[in-house]
Amino acid sequence: MGRQRARPVVILADDDNAITSNLAPFLERAGLTVHVASDGEAVLELVERLDPDGCILDVLMPRLDGREALRRLRADGHWLPVVLLTQVGESTERAIALDEGADDYLNKPFDPYELLARLRAVMRRARPGRRPLSASPALRAGDLRMDRISRRAWLRDAELVLTPKAMLLLDYLLTHPDELLTRDRLLEVLWGFEFPVGTRAVDNRIAELRRALGDDAVRPEWIATVPGQGYRFVAKVDEVR
Amino acid sequence: MTRLVSGSLPRLLAPALIGAALGIVLQVIEPEARLYALVSPGLLAGTAGLLCTLVLAAVTLIRQRAAVATQAAVHDAVAKAAEDRLRFLMRLDHELKNPLTAIRAGLANIEQAGDTGTAGTSPGTALASVSAQANRITQLLGDLRKLADLETREIEAAPVDLVSLLHEVREAVDAIPSASERVIQVNVPRAPWPLPLIEGDRDLLFIALQNLVANAVKFSAPGDTVEVRASEDGSWVLLEVADTGAGIPEDEIGEVWQELARGRAARSLPGTGIGLALVRVVVIRHGGQVAIRSRDGQGTVVSIRLPVQGRAGTAPVVAEPRQRRDPRGKVPV
Repeated sequence: MGRQRARPVVILADDDNAITSNLAPFLERAGLTVHVASDGEAVLELVERLDPDGCILDVLMPRLDGREALRRLRADGHWLPVVLLTQVGESTERAIALDEGADDYLNKPFDPYELLARLRAVMRRARPGRRPLSASPALRAGDLRMDRISRRAWLRDAELVLTPKAMLLLDYLLTHPDELLTRDRLLEVLWGFEFPVGTRAVDNRIAELRRALGDDAVRPEWIATVPGQGYRFVAKVDEVR
Repeated sequence: MTRLVSGSLPRLLAPALIGAALGIVLQVIEPEARLYALVSPGLLAGTAGLLCTLVLAAVTLIRQRAAVATQAAVHDAVAKAAEDRLRFLMRLDHELKNPLTAIRAGLANIEQAGDTGTAGTSPGTALASVSAQANRITQLLGDLRKLADLETREIEAAPVDLVSLLHEVREAVDAIPSASERVIQVNVPRAPWPLPLIEGDRDLLFIALQNLVANAVKFSAPGDTVEVRASEDGSWVLLEVADTGAGIPEDEIGEVWQELARGRAARSLPGTGIGLALVRVVVIRHGGQVAIRSRDGQGTVVSIRLPVQGRAGTAPVVAEPRQRRDPRGKVPV
């Protein structure tokens, strides 16, 4: 890896031809070289052969499903960025389970432009040849440390007491640092479905996190507000080895 | 029941017969013993046996009757579920066929425009229409999944201050353009003490209450009044959302809590008919109850009762993952 390609190579894996035959040309026009796979085994084979820059992986596929394919890729040390296409509800606690190691999740049915934006974001964030943050079992940002497997976090030596939703949010922030995370996106992470306009569901959890971290919204060390849009995790995040 | 009695007759009599036989045997063996001493052990044993048998028979009878009653209740529930399912499928069919017909018509327009270069409807308009209808179906599907998800997901059990929540709901509803043309009032008690906390998931309760108030705005006209009232009776918090709006016709009121139920008056308004079903699921999963009263042309009041936090016996049913609180709320998705 680490090479520059004029057109990034991505794998689009879905067993439904109606999806791939419409999405592939869309992604091609957006400047990507797309290879279609219709099951998990084909994905493994294409990754070995093409060393692609990214992968869109549907969960439900014959022979080898998306989750299992992803697990095998990670087990073999393939750290290419992966966007997993999940079912509603699975984007929350269950799907962000570490053993899968996807870089991002998207629920079907999705807006193709949203998929493209997510794919570009994970490819931009990719650290060629290195494990993505989203596949790391433990992360550190300054004095903040998180064990993603046991879902526990510490500030210096004190363990943080957080609601499950706030912990989930912290996990997403830590694995998507320096990215503008809109309220809608974070709502989808927390809940997996749409909320009425005007909800403060995200802001309330961010406030909970800030209280626990002692973070000042005006001069944030960790979580910055992007006015009118959402939030950004501003601290530098590293793996804990 | 007949079988029980006839089958039990020998058993009923057996202890008494054994008692009498014992008495006769004793009489024969010990002819000099006094009569009461001879007869009474036999009689006592016989009576005790008879009593035991009667009690057992009564228990069996009650059990059988209860089983029959349960069976009838199960049968009713199954019949009701089947009927609900059928109605749901009919409503789903109804909600899907319009957008799909529009999409097919839109696609035909686009094809014709491609063939001839001219058409009554420009491809741009047709594309916009197809896109809007696709969004409509997406919305419908999203709402149904939301409902299915809420019936099964784990509900957080944190203390919730309904007063601040109601103000948040008020602010959110104020953002609806037509809300400024209604008189919206939020009344929460301050005396003799403020509204007690309840236990649950604040985000979900927000969805439920926002839905109710937004509904009240949606089904009323400029100048109408929308009142949000809260009160408490020790174990329960009562929340009411009332409006002086269009009301619901009597023949439609029974169906309002069902998913995809949309009244005739709502057909012309945007929405998927999931709102009240969602409210019901959220409230039931919090251990609460919902009710609705309406007069056609006069207005509607929806009441929610939620258990006060920490009240013995009325603790909210929360944090119990994957447990259906209402078997009829099932959505086949």
